[in-house]
Amino acid sequence: MPHRNEMLQRNEMLQRNEMPQRNAMLQRNEMPQRNAMLQRDEISQRNEMPRAQRVFSSCLLSVLLSLGALLPFHASSQVDPVGHERQSSYVLMSPDTKAMQDDPLLNPATFTVLDGEVLWRELAGKKNQSCASCHGDATVSMKGVAASYPKVNAAGQLLNLEGRINQCRTEHQVASPFAFESKPLLALSAFVATQSKGMPITVERTPANEKALASGQRLFDQRMGQLNLSCAQCHAERSGQKLAGNPIPQAHPTAYPIYRLEWQAVGSLERRLRNCMVGVRAEPYAFGSNEFLELELFLAWRARAMLFESPGVRP
Amino acid sequence: MSAAAASVLPSLNALATVDDATQAVDKILSGRPAKVGRVTLEIPPLVENGNLVTMKVSVQSPMTEADYVRAIHIVAEGNPLPNVVSFFLSPRAGRAAITTRIRLGDSQRVRAIAQMNDGSFWQGDAATLVTLAACTEV
Amino acid sequence: MPATAKKGEILEIRIIVQHDMESGFRHTETGQRVPRDIIRDFRCTYNGLEVFRVELHPAMGANPLIVFTTTATESGTLEFKWSGDNGYASSTTSALTVT
Repeated sequence: MPHRNEMLQRNEMLQRNEMPQRNAMLQRNEMPQRNAMLQRDEISQRNEMPRAQRVFSSCLLSVLLSLGALLPFHASSQVDPVGHERQSSYVLMSPDTKAMQDDPLLNPATFTVLDGEVLWRELAGKKNQSCASCHGDATVSMKGVAASYPKVNAAGQLLNLEGRINQCRTEHQVASPFAFESKPLLALSAFVATQSKGMPITVERTPANEKALASGQRLFDQRMGQLNLSCAQCHAERSGQKLAGNPIPQAHPTAYPIYRLEWQAVGSLERRLRNCMVGVRAEPYAFGSNEFLELELFLAWRARAMLFESPGVRP
Repeated sequence: MSAAAASVLPSLNALATVDDATQAVDKILSGRPAKVGRVTLEIPPLVENGNLVTMKVSVQSPMTEADYVRAIHIVAEGNPLPNVVSFFLSPRAGRAAITTRIRLGDSQRVRAIAQMNDGSFWQGDAATLVTLAACTEV
Repeated sequence: MPATAKKGEILEIRIIVQHDMESGFRHTETGQRVPRDIIRDFRCTYNGLEVFRVELHPAMGANPLIVFTTTATESGTLEFKWSGDNGYASSTTSALTVT
């Protein structure tokens, strides 16, 4: 985040909690350069469906129509049957919530990002190294990194950003991994994620990930829970419509980790997905499970080329 | 799971009634009348999540030694507790305009009571609809 | 807030502090009430003189943000103090040059 050191005075007085409570005096005249922050009109409104797919789907549609097909149109997640352009859930939010996300001085996740910046430099583990020891300045080394996850590493392991951070912890710092949804893990992932802000998601289908990607798509399309609903039924087929008064987003993970107003805290994509599963009365997958990793991979691929907004604010 | 997943919904019988809010306002006024006017309370008419609602209160006042706002009290009619926040000012403020972020537990009317240096009271209010987030933890 | 100002100018100050503001109305998944733990008081002093004070209640949002104003009267130091439940105390200062 630009100009942060000039911007905030921090009181490092440590309180009961493990992370320092911060009393930030906001310097109005020293706000970060606006062009370094995600501009609202940069959020992708374009139809990002690749040309080949558009041709295929229109062919399929015309074949079905010519057959006078009365068969129900099973919308797969790759094709939005209503022809909507892809958009971030940012556009569905109220002006106040948008303003909260856009201005780091108002964004409640800013503290988490700052905590992450401190942790980045903290020596840890038997190797007594910090992230910075290997990766140096995160604003350089981590540019675009979060937007490339989840990915399959050389050893064939599918990892999301949190998993990769923990792998660095255990293998390179030789320290204990952070617990899922713990403050340090959220702080580091928020700090790394924000280095991709404004950059496009670069998750593509590769020979290494295609099996996991197909699995993730199956999970997205699969009905689950007592309500027997699939992700696709709400987020692909009915995005933009209302559910209990709230507009249904297309469910692109462009802003994670987010400060969810409902949680009054920062949380990961997996935490949010668990909420979705509780919403359809399904037993949520465990944090770090293969199901979640495959689903996250699919969601990121589905959102490819959309711009990163982290850290986001969502209701 | 390490996250302390906690429900933000208070139990329904704990929600304050309009009476509780009226009592809280009466306590502030101590029998004196509160004229309607001079106080503007701005809250979005539709709130996506009641956990963090931006609220702005401003009072028409020259804020001089002779005529200034001494205090502004915010009272909610639909929260578990009626008192939300109280601001205490002096002529040094220059303007009586404050923005903050509050919690609203339900759709409701929120009231702002301003006490002037001469002991008089003025009031304003704002009504808002508070919606609940989709797909929560519990 | 700005670091410099003209005498008599009204300054806008935005301050935010990291604090969960546990309202005391939340419950864990197993039904236990999470105890109240909030900031109760905020004060701004200008060269030692209190110019603004806030009484916070559980209905104040997490990570409290307050935007208020004060008049630039003379050069000096503004101090911002938060205090609350369980002995919570936090403060910061900001220097102001008034011409």
